[in-house]
Amino acid sequence: MIRMDEFIDKLLKAAAEAGIEPAEVYCEEKSSFSAEAMDGSIDSYEVSETCGLSLRGMVGGKMGYASTEAFDEDAIRMLIRGVKESAALVETEEQDEIYAGDPAYPELAVPENDLDNVTAEEKLQLALEMEKAAMTADSRIAKSRGSYVTTGKGVVRLVNSYGLNLKTEKPVGGYAVAGIWLVGKDGESASAGGESEARRKFRELDPVRIGKKAAENTAAMLNASPVESGTYRVVIRRDAMRSLLNVFSSIFSAENAQKKLSLLEGREGETIASSCVTLMDDPLLPDGFASAAFDGEGSACRTKAVIENGVLKTLLHSRKTARKAGTVSTGNAKRSVSSPVKVAPTNFFFQPGEKDLDGLLADLGEGLLITEVGGLHAGANPISGDFSLIAKGFRVTGGKQGLPVEQITIAGNFYQMLKDIRAIGSDLEFKSSNIGSPSVDVGNIHVAGK
Amino acid sequence: MMLDRNIAAEVLARAVKTGGDFAEIFMEDNTSSNMTLKSDRIESLGTAREHGAGIRVFEGTRAIYVYTNDTSREGLMDCAAQAAAAVRSGKGCTPVGFSHWSTARANEIRIQPGDAEAALKAEKLRAANAAARGISPEIVQVTCGYKDVTQDVLICNTEGVFVTDRRVRSRLMVSAVASDGKENQTGSCNPGAGMGFELFDERVDPEACGRLAAEKAVTMLHADSCPAGVYPVVIDGGFGGVIFHEACGHSLEATSVAYGISEFSGKLGQQIAASCVTAVDDGTIPGEWGSTHVDDEGMPTSCLTLIENGILVNYMIDKLGGRRMNMAPTGSGRRESYQWAPTSRMRNTYIAAGPDDEAEMIATMGTGLYAKSMGGGSVNPATGEFNFSVEEGYWVEDGKILRPVRGASLIGKGGEVLMRIDRVGKKMTMAQGMCGSASGSVPVNVGQPMIRVSSMTVGGK
Repeated sequence: MIRMDEFIDKLLKAAAEAGIEPAEVYCEEKSSFSAEAMDGSIDSYEVSETCGLSLRGMVGGKMGYASTEAFDEDAIRMLIRGVKESAALVETEEQDEIYAGDPAYPELAVPENDLDNVTAEEKLQLALEMEKAAMTADSRIAKSRGSYVTTGKGVVRLVNSYGLNLKTEKPVGGYAVAGIWLVGKDGESASAGGESEARRKFRELDPVRIGKKAAENTAAMLNASPVESGTYRVVIRRDAMRSLLNVFSSIFSAENAQKKLSLLEGREGETIASSCVTLMDDPLLPDGFASAAFDGEGSACRTKAVIENGVLKTLLHSRKTARKAGTVSTGNAKRSVSSPVKVAPTNFFFQPGEKDLDGLLADLGEGLLITEVGGLHAGANPISGDFSLIAKGFRVTGGKQGLPVEQITIAGNFYQMLKDIRAIGSDLEFKSSNIGSPSVDVGNIHVAGK
Repeated sequence: MMLDRNIAAEVLARAVKTGGDFAEIFMEDNTSSNMTLKSDRIESLGTAREHGAGIRVFEGTRAIYVYTNDTSREGLMDCAAQAAAAVRSGKGCTPVGFSHWSTARANEIRIQPGDAEAALKAEKLRAANAAARGISPEIVQVTCGYKDVTQDVLICNTEGVFVTDRRVRSRLMVSAVASDGKENQTGSCNPGAGMGFELFDERVDPEACGRLAAEKAVTMLHADSCPAGVYPVVIDGGFGGVIFHEACGHSLEATSVAYGISEFSGKLGQQIAASCVTAVDDGTIPGEWGSTHVDDEGMPTSCLTLIENGILVNYMIDKLGGRRMNMAPTGSGRRESYQWAPTSRMRNTYIAAGPDDEAEMIATMGTGLYAKSMGGGSVNPATGEFNFSVEEGYWVEDGKILRPVRGASLIGKGGEVLMRIDRVGKKMTMAQGMCGSASGSVPVNVGQPMIRVSSMTVGGK
């Protein structure tokens, strides 16, 4: 691979000579492995090693950005020209700033991992075993749509002309994910389902457990039917709730609030959710996918409640949005190679409550359990809070999970839903995401069915 | 971007050394620029260069893919060796000598994006912003984006293909937010084409685009919630074509057909849609958003009729899918970048124009939804279950358009909905989208004339 340290040194020197001062390099190096089995043999196999780098810097009091995946003399010239061109046209009053860094950063727990001493052959075996376990678990499982294993590691660097030089693994310790997609058939009825697990240690992935669970999930949805259109009492299971929270997490960005793209501007201190709701942003979670000691601007990360017992305590800030709001950064500046600094949550989740899913259903009595929502990129609008989504799940009768439901939509508004929440479950789960949720009793929801 | 033919031959030979029966190099150099205007000011602009290569080896119907940014001889040879190491017991192949051709056509792009000054691009965003803000004081935010991409690719393989192509695309994106302080609603307009900066001379009026986005947002701010239930639905042309894209298009890609997963597997020659439906996937239309000269496997793109008068006549097939299906590829192999192995994908996909009168369609529909403007959607090809959102909808009673309605979504199963199309209008129009699937996010056109579906599940409150 290319020697990135050398390239970064050279680039920052060239930037200084070109009058870009201060300047900062953000660099991501990634490697990944993935394999997929189908119908009893390995169907595809993929290996990658990539590196991307972004240069930003001040020219005449304005910040410019450019990025590259090529690392030659040409790339240095292109980056410098790109930063200058971009700085010349930017008009915003509030500028991003380059930061010399905090005096101290929190210590992160480094999860134990075994990724460096797992062979490709072991990974292929896991995919094959998982498929076998799934296909033999239930006679109604008709077809595997792919049994996959993915492992990966990354390194992120932040180096600037103030002397800041930070480096971390991302995610810390790397990751291993395994999962399988299945098709179930029973007479005329077809269902699609699956299961996945994410771990830091590859050897904690259990192919039989995942395969059986995938078969169970898929078979459970056979012979599903729509319910009558109307208003239902609803519990949203943790996986579906995680999808919803993920889409609507952007409403807690101070950047979006300041730009009227969220309705939460200036509402800190107000009750915006039911009193049982506490929403955390915790970058120091020992096993979190977004755990980090520093954010994309080099600010120290810290744990905070965004909503505490229903009250909005803070929005998420970068240095720029904090300056505008007269506060300090919450350590939520997010970098990527190809875009400017944004604001985003780290490990973001509803604080779990007392009851497990069965307990929530028992309290619900009659209604629906929603286990899957789809079409979120179009059917959920974080600017209005509205959602109208295809959904699946189960009828709930006598406080117990009943017959499967498909071909329905659930519709509502996320801001309103926060206020309507009646209880939050104890079953917090993240999987391979930085967003986590327990199952949630969300009160009444409009359903379109038959 | 050049790759020495001798090095290419050496790398391919290394890739098939352990028994692979096909190898391919996809090399890419991609320069893009983007600009965003928000809160009345140019907020950011940037340039990005992506550069890398992917090496793919087949062993029967098994595919191995290795990619890297390091496109030096050593970098490529290392990738080839890694790919070769994953081959188990293939029958091998003898690479065929290259016959080179370039698809670059003179004067096709009038103004290369790199030759248009950033200040001119900024003017287009300001024009769209001002027009949107001018619609109503209720417009509290307008986000205008501009993006251009120049993608140079080189594709060569052990079957003698050695081809280069340049793909140039430009797009304007306007999103407006209307608010009364308590509620927000949004509207958008995102036109693009396979063109350079001449896009703004020939096709896209930024002011009209700004006004359209803002009008939708204001209309929806004053709309009631859409009623929920099962109703007849009229879907307008242009982005309305997303219904065919989701309800049927994805299920006709080899990606799902070749594995027997699609509800339309094994149905060639059978009726899968109402007889008024003819549908086409055309990668050859000059200047269109989803067109390319060659696909990402180095094969010329094609114009493919998928459904003719309701009868399924073609699938969209890539090289690997073709091996599984024992059928010829259709120039449909696409990928987001070198970071993705290609698979069969749609290009410009539309329902062809029909004989029906648009006004009659609504006048005779009874009570239901007129979906004037669509958001995106998705589908599960295994079950055919699809969904998409309605950005701008109107409630119809007794054949008369009564009032705007918000928050509507449409769901159904592909096979059932296609059979329920009972009107196809006279004028087909297309719109631009980004389609996400197994080989990443690729630009596609969707399109149709106004159509009517006799009954669909409408999501709302």
